[in-house]
Amino acid sequence: MGFLEWLQGTWVATTVAESLWGYPTFETMHTMGMALLIGSLGLINLRVLGFKPGLKIFDTRALLPLAWIGFTLNAISGSALFVSDAVMFFNSYTFRLKIVLIILGGINAALLSRKIFSEPAQGGAAVVPTTGMKWIAGTSLVFWFGAIICGRLIAYTP
Amino acid sequence: MMMELLQWLEHTPIAHAIRDWRWAYPALETGHYIGLSLLVGGIMLIDLRVLGFAPKLQLKSMIGLLPFVWVGFLINVTTGSLLFIYGAVNFGTNHAFWVKMICLVIAGLNALAFDLSIKRYSYDWVAAERPPPLVKTFATLSFALWLCVVTAGRWMAYI
Repeated sequence: MGFLEWLQGTWVATTVAESLWGYPTFETMHTMGMALLIGSLGLINLRVLGFKPGLKIFDTRALLPLAWIGFTLNAISGSALFVSDAVMFFNSYTFRLKIVLIILGGINAALLSRKIFSEPAQGGAAVVPTTGMKWIAGTSLVFWFGAIICGRLIAYTP
Repeated sequence: MMMELLQWLEHTPIAHAIRDWRWAYPALETGHYIGLSLLVGGIMLIDLRVLGFAPKLQLKSMIGLLPFVWVGFLINVTTGSLLFIYGAVNFGTNHAFWVKMICLVIAGLNALAFDLSIKRYSYDWVAAERPPPLVKTFATLSFALWLCVVTAGRWMAYI
């Protein structure tokens, strides 16, 4: 517990918590990052599930940099928001569930990328999504939307 | 007059129902965020693609994302209206809320102009994968306006 209290007392934490602009600015950043991350990963997952057959699955890898930008924005803004109230967030079961869902979503994204964006998939034959790939894509959507739901509910749940 | 309307809204059966059920407000807020991901996420992808990002992805398919954007929009109009009815006096007198609404209307008009430029342009820039400068301007404006909508929305709780 000592560490969390130290975190909460750092300059970054008190600035975010007490300044007029700190909290809302990082929240806005977190919201835009979310739209970028979920928008781009969501599209890749939906494509694997069979939507938008006009897009070549291999070409959707062009969306990965956007997903990373969204993720980076959210890692930075999320950390700033976390330290501003570290003890509360750490003790929140909803927050912990959110982190678990993000980790699962990340593992899924890595697994799916390896399957659909690997070199042999390039050029020649188009990637045809297997049932396994579709399961990863489907559960991915559940994890990411679950993370949004948990994020919103932190303020209302233990 | 305005105040009376806002007060009347807050006392409608819908507003009472939202107040009485503990999970109504958090559920509506969460719905608003999911709608936002679809709406703003979809629009940002289209805007960035028009501006030249990810050139390998067909412009036609990206513009084909519009149904997702519409689903997000409908979710957010519904959840947003219910949230407004619940807190009409608070929201109706909040400057950030009105900034958000103004940006939203301009963003809507901008989207309409974008749509018309797809339908009416003398040549088919979508198939040619070559958006004219005017369309790129719409895309830039769209990105900026939606950023303003989200920013103003978040600031509502602090103003």
